[in-house]
Amino acid sequence: MSELLSVSNRGEGPYLRRFTVLDRTLHALVIVSFLGLVMTGAPLRFPFSGWAHTLSRLLGGFQTAGFVHRVCAIITFGYFAAHLAKVTVLLFRTTDKKSIFWGPNSMVPQPKDLRDVIQMFKWFFGRGPQPRFDRFSYMEKFDYLGVFWGVAIIGASGLMLWFPEFFARVLPGWAFNVATIVHGEEALLALGFIFTIHFFNVHLRPGKFPIDLVIFTGSATADYMKEEHPLEYERLQQAGRLAELETPAPSRQFYVWSLILGFTSLALGITMIVLVLWGALR
Amino acid sequence: MRPNLRPWLKGPATAWRVAGSPVCRLLLLAVLWAVLPGVAAAQGPDAVDCQQCHGDREMFAADDSATARMFVPDSLLRETRHQKLRCADCHPEHASGFPHEASAKAVQCQSCHKQEGAEWAPSIHAANARTAGDAPNCVSCHGNHTVLGAADRRSPTHPLNLAAMCGRCHSDPRIIGTYFMAPSGAQARVAVAQYYETVHGNALTRDGLVVSATCNDCHGAHKILPAKSPESSVNHANIPKTCGTCHVGILESYEQSAHGKAIGNGAAGAKPAPVCTDCHSGHQIVRADQPKWFMGVVEECGTCHRRLYETYFTTYHGQVTKLGFGLTAKCSDCHTAHEIRPRTDPQSSVYPANLQRTCQRCHPAANANFVKYYSHGDSHERTRYPALYWASMGMNLLLAGVFGFFGIHTLLWMNRLAINHVRSRRAAKAPSEEKAP
Repeated sequence: MSELLSVSNRGEGPYLRRFTVLDRTLHALVIVSFLGLVMTGAPLRFPFSGWAHTLSRLLGGFQTAGFVHRVCAIITFGYFAAHLAKVTVLLFRTTDKKSIFWGPNSMVPQPKDLRDVIQMFKWFFGRGPQPRFDRFSYMEKFDYLGVFWGVAIIGASGLMLWFPEFFARVLPGWAFNVATIVHGEEALLALGFIFTIHFFNVHLRPGKFPIDLVIFTGSATADYMKEEHPLEYERLQQAGRLAELETPAPSRQFYVWSLILGFTSLALGITMIVLVLWGALR
Repeated sequence: MRPNLRPWLKGPATAWRVAGSPVCRLLLLAVLWAVLPGVAAAQGPDAVDCQQCHGDREMFAADDSATARMFVPDSLLRETRHQKLRCADCHPEHASGFPHEASAKAVQCQSCHKQEGAEWAPSIHAANARTAGDAPNCVSCHGNHTVLGAADRRSPTHPLNLAAMCGRCHSDPRIIGTYFMAPSGAQARVAVAQYYETVHGNALTRDGLVVSATCNDCHGAHKILPAKSPESSVNHANIPKTCGTCHVGILESYEQSAHGKAIGNGAAGAKPAPVCTDCHSGHQIVRADQPKWFMGVVEECGTCHRRLYETYFTTYHGQVTKLGFGLTAKCSDCHTAHEIRPRTDPQSSVYPANLQRTCQRCHPAANANFVKYYSHGDSHERTRYPALYWASMGMNLLLAGVFGFFGIHTLLWMNRLAINHVRSRRAAKAPSEEKAP
């Protein structure tokens, strides 16, 4: 029965590979470090809330929390660098270099994404069919670029606040006031987006509820691909490349561990967004 | 010291004047030396005589306290500060010896202790004694026959015993219920109990340190006046001087501060300024490194410096402080605790030229750039802090844009899914309904 908890396991097979081991590992690091950053950072942003006091003590006081925050920051810089390295390597190795920056396999927003957005709103109002997505929907691209932009902005402002004396060699003191504002607000944007919009789009909306483990297991059923990424499925089918993507179903043990990580992350994220909303609205 | 000795000295004094020559005077002196004790015995009873009755436990064995109090054994008198006094010195109405009246009159300590008497007379205790007859007098605190003096460890007025002695009344539910039930008495209701928890009380009871302040050091021993009285040692304007009796160095700093000068002016209509107790409290004085204290003092500064208080909590310093951790800078870390000078004063710790040194206390490598940090920056003030204003504005717009778009996106999506769900249910039902009839 638990197999059916994840939408990526529902429907007819065969299982098709969607994410590489590196992608899945990096996403797991994103989850762990991001939750760590949110839980250790949010109390500082809402120090007037009772939960902030409790949480900061639960995490061992602000010094320990600050230490965990910095460790998670290093993990963040690590996965950011690893991803950039991967793209760089791809750039040298792939014969079709253009495909990285354009086309169905690229994360770069393209005219089709704008058309999909318009089509999506037409569908919302009953004026047409739902848009059919290729390998990455515009929502997935936004998630990806949001992390890209977020790590750059939060990371840079965070480093400034981490080493103020060093950065003060060139920056005026008020730059740290600006960094505090940018770091805190951008973090609110990130956690607010991930714990509501991303959770809804990817896990909680009808059709996907309660969870989509494809980012953990790396593979999903053919039915899932036809439903979520029909254009990619058809493109691969026509090119006769479906067979090379076929992969065995995830092992039971791996699947259960993925479920545990997934549900734990969902629960922590939802808890944090409730606390943050509570803190922001009081 | 012994006013009642004067009558019997009159006789010999006359004889002294009459006996003109030095030889005669010497002779007279010798006679006097021999007979004086006998004269004294004839004029008023010695303690030894009083002891014949008042040292007899059997004679005053009755149960009531009035009788029991009259049992004054010699052992009780031996160590008092008054051991050289005779009974009649304090009980002159009994100077004639036995038999005497059954009841003694109130002892007039101030006949000798003039200064203490004069100090006590205007006190709240004396006032209440006059109006309600319900207040401590000399013997309530010092005892009657066993006056030992404050330096004696066994005396109720010894520093280690004083708080307990004051607490006999000030912790007594009857006294509290009668005098301290008004809202203004809130502090007085718990004053003694709280005192024991203060740094002063702890120094006394835990560390046995007799130089630590106890009740009388702040409130006075005899001239105890309510705080609202301008003459009171605990009146707001007099607090710095009172605390400064011991904390001499702190008083020196405080008097140089903007607060100290405002209090020192004492001008009518002057801005109210905090004194020692506004930050340290009177009966809840805790060590300055305790969260309870450092949070409390930030709140206290905030009662007047409202905007600085609010903006402080938007900085990392304030956020960590608000969470209850004491490591980051609080008001006093930058502005100093007692010598708080305005930032226009060249001697101020926050005078622009001194900022670098002040920041370096925590940030050793702070340079001229570093101290351009706004410790009280306000992103709502466009003209004073344009960078903060626009950074905040920009981030707000970004958040509003993203959440606005995707919020609507998500709501419309749920709406569409709900509509489709209802329609498919209806479509599934419709054929079966047609078949039913």
